[in-house]
Amino acid sequence: MAFNGVNISVEAPIENQIQEITYEGVEIYQPPLTLSESLAKYAQKIDFSKTIEADVKKEDVTDENKSDSDSKDAFQSSLWPWDSVRNKLRNAFQEISVLADVLAIAKDKRYMVLDPVPQEPLETKPMVQIYARKKALAGAANVLLAGAEKLKTSQNEAARNRTTPDFHIELLRLRQNWRLKKVSNTIIGDLSYRTAGSKYLQTGTFEVTKAEEDEKLCSPPGSPGGAPPNKPSSALKVSIPSELQGVAYIEVLCQKDQEDLCSASINLLGSGAPSSNPDMHWQQKLEAAQNVLFCKELFNQLAKEAVELQAPIPHMVVGNQIMATVLPGIQLIIALRHSTSAEKKQEKPSPSKSEHDHVLEHSLHQLLREVHHKNTHHPFPHPATGPLGPSKKRMMAGPMAADRYELLEMTKQEKLLEQIVKQAQHFIMRMRTEYVLDTIAKEFKDPLISSHWNTLNSPTQSCVKINISTHGYDAVCRTPLVIHVGEKSLKCICRDGKVMNMSYEPQELRDLIFCHINQHQILAVQALAKTMGWQCLGNSNHLGSGPVEPLGNAASCLLVSPTGDRIIAVRCEPQASGLQVAVAHSPRTDFIPTRLVLERKWEHLGGQFRDVRLDKMEGKNFLHKMELLMASLTSNS
Amino acid sequence: MGVTILAQFPVENKTGPQIIEVLSKRICALGATPQGQFLVDCETFTSVPALGHQRTVHVLHNSEQPATVFALLETGTKTIPLVTDGLFDLLIMKMISFYQSKKHTKTESKGPRFEIGDFSVKLGTVNITSNFKGILVEVEYKPCVVPAMCWDLIMEFMQGFLGSSGPTAPPAFLQNRMQEIYSPIDTIQQYLEHFTIFRKSTGPTMVMRPQQP
Repeated sequence: MAFNGVNISVEAPIENQIQEITYEGVEIYQPPLTLSESLAKYAQKIDFSKTIEADVKKEDVTDENKSDSDSKDAFQSSLWPWDSVRNKLRNAFQEISVLADVLAIAKDKRYMVLDPVPQEPLETKPMVQIYARKKALAGAANVLLAGAEKLKTSQNEAARNRTTPDFHIELLRLRQNWRLKKVSNTIIGDLSYRTAGSKYLQTGTFEVTKAEEDEKLCSPPGSPGGAPPNKPSSALKVSIPSELQGVAYIEVLCQKDQEDLCSASINLLGSGAPSSNPDMHWQQKLEAAQNVLFCKELFNQLAKEAVELQAPIPHMVVGNQIMATVLPGIQLIIALRHSTSAEKKQEKPSPSKSEHDHVLEHSLHQLLREVHHKNTHHPFPHPATGPLGPSKKRMMAGPMAADRYELLEMTKQEKLLEQIVKQAQHFIMRMRTEYVLDTIAKEFKDPLISSHWNTLNSPTQSCVKINISTHGYDAVCRTPLVIHVGEKSLKCICRDGKVMNMSYEPQELRDLIFCHINQHQILAVQALAKTMGWQCLGNSNHLGSGPVEPLGNAASCLLVSPTGDRIIAVRCEPQASGLQVAVAHSPRTDFIPTRLVLERKWEHLGGQFRDVRLDKMEGKNFLHKMELLMASLTSNS
Repeated sequence: MGVTILAQFPVENKTGPQIIEVLSKRICALGATPQGQFLVDCETFTSVPALGHQRTVHVLHNSEQPATVFALLETGTKTIPLVTDGLFDLLIMKMISFYQSKKHTKTESKGPRFEIGDFSVKLGTVNITSNFKGILVEVEYKPCVVPAMCWDLIMEFMQGFLGSSGPTAPPAFLQNRMQEIYSPIDTIQQYLEHFTIFRKSTGPTMVMRPQQP
């Protein structure tokens, strides 16, 4: 107040305190105190012992200068929440100071002396104590001994019988092949195909438990008595829901008027059909259950599609059986067979049906797997913002500006049932074609008919190559044919490149082959004539003369000998053994002048044809006979 | 997909439904069968001034290509066409802070659709924010993809039912693309051309015949 000139302001520094300086020289400041923190900090600085004096002083001071009062009031009001703390601290301080005074007085030993208060000693009997300790020790020893005994026996057991299954090892093995999870105290497994892309609703959960001890002990003694195969008993027990127990398979039958054409049965486990014994190994048990689940899903899917599909002849779903018409008069029957008990196993259709078709068996299986695969494997790329799932074609539809018809086409996709029906159709077509070719080959010996089936084919298309040739004259003439066997039709590509489309009726193919045999004979005779030095005067594949043929047209050719004096006429009808051969001489070797024909030169105009009786001739087959005939006629001149 | 020609039909003091009815009767008399409805719509967005030089984006949909969104970006010097997936609409919604929708420019052409042999005919009523503006007739010849090869045929066909108001020369957009392979975006370009003319005009009465030799 005395020096008015200079004002000094005292305030806290703007910079915070440095807490730490790191090695690279960065200074870490302390965070600034919050309002409550700074209040607490200030409260720490208050000397409570002086508050009484301060109060007294304050009263004086308030009287003295009013100017400071507002700041004091602020101080008091800010201290107000701390009042109880202050009071308690003050009381504690009072007590401590009294104690300090007492101690100070006692320390002097002049006015006060501290004496210990004597206590009564506890009466203990040594014998009772010893007994009690002995008893306690004996109890502890018993526990330890029992434990040691258990360990010793288990070790002995393990040493004696190393194959004793261990629950945890088994569990580990189970875990390697199956999905398991722990739900509270139980272990739950999942055998559904959901992780593989299945969308079937039925759950395939099973529970894993530890096999009972006595059960485990019971099975080894059973082995010497009943002498069953020494099956390793398992420490694991799996319990499967009742609807998945037993054996299931899908039976595929192609029926024609209640007569089986072929049958196939799907059994994922192959030939060794597992019995539903309770003492089966868990691996087999789980596989069987999974098989049941798969068959159920497959059948469910097929039944759903059979109802949905609008076939010209509606599919029928009755109980566990689907009936679909493949070709007129031929039905495809798909049935789900599920036997839950061991006795029913005997009722299985006897394996007398020799035509066990592995292709149809496999296809059904494959088709559902394919659906599963498609569900999990989406075509690339997977856009971050686009929807996942539509086909690649659909994804390109937007940028390629596909119109409504194209988009509509994309939504259609073949159902499982349609695919299997197509495969069955193809199967029957193939069988019919095979049958027709084989019977014709059996019937005909003269031109030989050989057929080669392509080993590589698709489930709905296959191809057969047919060669028509004559034994001994393969090099002279050969008629090749290729037949594509489709789902409901046949396509034949002929020697001359013509394409013939035929329906599923086997008679059509039969007729076609007959026509080609006929054609082959005529062509072969001509080719043979060329090698013999004979000349072909003319030929016609579709002869207009003669009686009307029931099938196709007759073919003919006219051959003349090198010297030109002999003519052979061959007529071939598509009917079996419809070969006619006639011979004419010009001029005739013997000339007898008549009233009509006076001179020999007129005989050059051509003579009468005389039939050759082929069946009386020498020769293995038609071409051989013709060769002999030509040879004899040539040498004669 | 074939070649599409778009032509304007003069209104001449008639209402839109009246003209559509007259044309429908004419095309049905030729033996066409009705095949539902069609719709082509166009919305225009302009870039905000903050992006610098102003650009315009026209977003069009055609019911013939339901999975596709067409966009035409006009930079002032050239037009960049874009054919995309339906998700482009969502993208445009996200870009609303850069490209703002022009007010009162939502244009659409809709009406009946007919099939007659290899042709498909669409009679569209053009509305700009539900105000009637005019009539657009679209004719598509499906078996051909090169405009030059089928222009005469289409012209003759159009004159057959539009009378003298049918087009006599190819649309301006196709003039220099007559030998190229036609694609759906070309149809959209033609629509945009006509929509732009309609937007500039004030009402249906102002619409004159497009080409008159």
